[in-house]
Amino acid sequence: MPEGTKLAEEQVFTYRVLDEFSSFDPQVVEDVNGSEVVRDLFEGLYNQDADGNNVPGVALSHTVSEDNMTYTFTLRDNAKWSDGTPVTAGDFVYAWQRAVDPELASPYAWYMELMSIENASAIIAGEKPVTELGVSAPDDHTLVVKLSQPLPYFDKMVTHATTFPAPKWAIEAHGKEWTRPGNIVSNGAYVLTEHVLKERSVRERNPMYWDNENTVLDKVVTLVIGDDAQALTRWRAGEVEKTEIPAGQYPALKEEFPEEAYALPRLCNYYFTFNLESGPEAFKDARVRKALSYAIDRQVIVDRVLQGGQFPAYTFTPAATAGFEVPAVEYAGMTQAERDAKAKELLAEAGYGPDGEKLSFTYLYNTSEAHKQVAIVATQMWKQKLGVDVELSNQEWKVFLETRGNQNFDMARGAWCGDYNEASTFLDLLTTPSGYNDGKYSNPRVDELMTEAKSSANAQPLYTEVEQILAEDMPVVPVYHYSTNMMLDDSIQGWPVNNVEQNWYSKDLYKVAE
Amino acid sequence: MFNYSVRRLLTAVPTILILIVFAFYLMRLAPGGPFTSEKPLPPAVMENVLKRYGMDEPLHMQLFTYIKNIVCCFDFGPSFSQKDRSVNDIIAQGFPVTLTYGFWSAVFVLVLGIPLGIIAALRHNSFWDYLMTGLAIFSQIFPNFVLAPLMVLLFTLSWGLLPGGGWNGGQWQYIVMPAIALGTSYMAGVARLTRGSLLEVLNSPFIRTARAKGLPERTILIRHALKPALLPTLTYMGPVFVYMITGSVFIDVFFSTGGIGQDFIDGAYSRDYSVLLGLAIIYCVLTFSINLVLDLLYAWIDPKVRDSL
Repeated sequence: MPEGTKLAEEQVFTYRVLDEFSSFDPQVVEDVNGSEVVRDLFEGLYNQDADGNNVPGVALSHTVSEDNMTYTFTLRDNAKWSDGTPVTAGDFVYAWQRAVDPELASPYAWYMELMSIENASAIIAGEKPVTELGVSAPDDHTLVVKLSQPLPYFDKMVTHATTFPAPKWAIEAHGKEWTRPGNIVSNGAYVLTEHVLKERSVRERNPMYWDNENTVLDKVVTLVIGDDAQALTRWRAGEVEKTEIPAGQYPALKEEFPEEAYALPRLCNYYFTFNLESGPEAFKDARVRKALSYAIDRQVIVDRVLQGGQFPAYTFTPAATAGFEVPAVEYAGMTQAERDAKAKELLAEAGYGPDGEKLSFTYLYNTSEAHKQVAIVATQMWKQKLGVDVELSNQEWKVFLETRGNQNFDMARGAWCGDYNEASTFLDLLTTPSGYNDGKYSNPRVDELMTEAKSSANAQPLYTEVEQILAEDMPVVPVYHYSTNMMLDDSIQGWPVNNVEQNWYSKDLYKVAE
Repeated sequence: MFNYSVRRLLTAVPTILILIVFAFYLMRLAPGGPFTSEKPLPPAVMENVLKRYGMDEPLHMQLFTYIKNIVCCFDFGPSFSQKDRSVNDIIAQGFPVTLTYGFWSAVFVLVLGIPLGIIAALRHNSFWDYLMTGLAIFSQIFPNFVLAPLMVLLFTLSWGLLPGGGWNGGQWQYIVMPAIALGTSYMAGVARLTRGSLLEVLNSPFIRTARAKGLPERTILIRHALKPALLPTLTYMGPVFVYMITGSVFIDVFFSTGGIGQDFIDGAYSRDYSVLLGLAIIYCVLTFSINLVLDLLYAWIDPKVRDSL
């Protein structure tokens, strides 16, 4: 907070969420909005600052063993739970064991596997007891984590809700109801004081929090508003101070409220995936895939269709990803006219197009107005430039997921949001063993590079090579990288606009007098 | 009449059972499940999750356990999407909300609709009649998804009189717009029904007899004409009332009241089987009980019905 800021008298921040939260239990929560609340209620080893860098949370610092397999965190001695109990390393051990416990069956147990914590997989599979997890507390302020393989970005992963500590005594006393206001004991800057399902939740300043002195907001309120347009209306009426922008309305709102309409880069990509396993024969030819990719005018999709400050994508990994330098891939440097010409050439070479065989396939997406618009524009581009016939097909979300997951498609829409701020969260998706690789792309070299990256001190050259292979193989067509669109009242300051994961903490926000 | 009520209640039990079985299997026919997600769970994690919710058992066993838990402990199971909550919890929080504004909406419908209908019938083919018919048609062509945003535009954005949504413990300011938006088109229906049937009754022989006996017009209307004239309205209001207190999906979503209408939508999208099934049962029980109450009301109003019970 800058010196001399004139603060508003009432330090209350009210914002809109789309749905009811999945949970307030750090080891169980799985939705983005729920994690936002959990980040306020609980504090993990590290927090993120306004730029997305790690800053001390409960942990002050850590050391890494020579083989990069053991992390030792030193915890602060002044951290307390909201009931006054000191926060100890044991609370983390309990929480992490809980996250992999088959009994709790947290859907986010996979995150602990992703963190490569020793024995996590075996415990989840029920082959070992939870006490075998590679995490221990030699004393109250030391947490030792043993990994099953070196993971250079391990410390980046401990800002995630799944890794937050849990109060064993409160959970044992109240069982499943321990997250209710009154029952909940938490160690973050706020405590939950009210929760009305599908309507509101209120969290208030936690006087026991070690940095309570520097917390400005006294109270944070969420209101569930299911309808985007209605949420915007209520933002205009001043009932909420932050809301998402309905699709397509960003340019108009930016003009009306230049200081309050935001489009921020976000760690998500949007792509078309080819079914390489059971899709059309033509897709097995990389030239066909490249032709289809080159013919997409991404600038038109971003500027004319989406209009929300999204970024044209030529690589799978978004440029905003920490430590990721966008590699020079050939087609990114061309003009669209050059790309179109190249696309025609490639398609003709492969024996399709005006002088060859007719190319036609079905494009599958999940039912939504925005996806439909992208699909229509893309298929028009293919038709006009390449003479390709594409049939559109849309399905309800869960039906779509099942169809895509069973490879019952020719080409399908895909999107991926990073689980942590590092390129591997994206690129791993295109490795052979990935459970998310719906197009069944498989290139041994990519697999090899990604395995190597896991233990490499400088993975950038490896990622560059992977992206270059992807630009040649084109197993997926990157279309654009997402942006976060929001309206934020100008009285609310301190928003981490440069944090691409949009991990914000209410304790860093403040409300200025209008 | 007591025997009749008992008989009706007894037939309700098998009907609800059939509904449960039917809905249970029907829901599972939809592709995808509660744990299908963009990031598919690894097999071992999925196995644990399914086991935790008893979904690793064969379907008929799941159904059996479900029914057993309802019968023995009135337990409708855990929600799959709101992981800290049970279906009992969700319904206990949402149903009172829907019931409250549904009730006020019904009051609005009856208090405004019936008098409008009566005035129109009494002033048959006059200015008042035309005005009322005009109003009724106007509100019927204005569906609630047009009316609600319009009201918010005026009352919230322009005049700042009412909050644009939310519930806030059910303060009256938060009930006004949902109740009116929900009720308006039914109010028009009630007004037109009342007008039509009152006109018919007023032209029937027993009213003519009453007039011939020299009874004052007021007495004729209140003592003799009104009761039979309201029968069609009553028939109409039964299902409408059930709809109002349960299925007001649009109102719940638009005004963010936190009522159970929202759960129908969310439950369907997220395949939250237990929430959907719980709501279906509630809906069924309510339809049954309200129809029973209506039948008893009929009997009270109409001697012909009373004798046949």
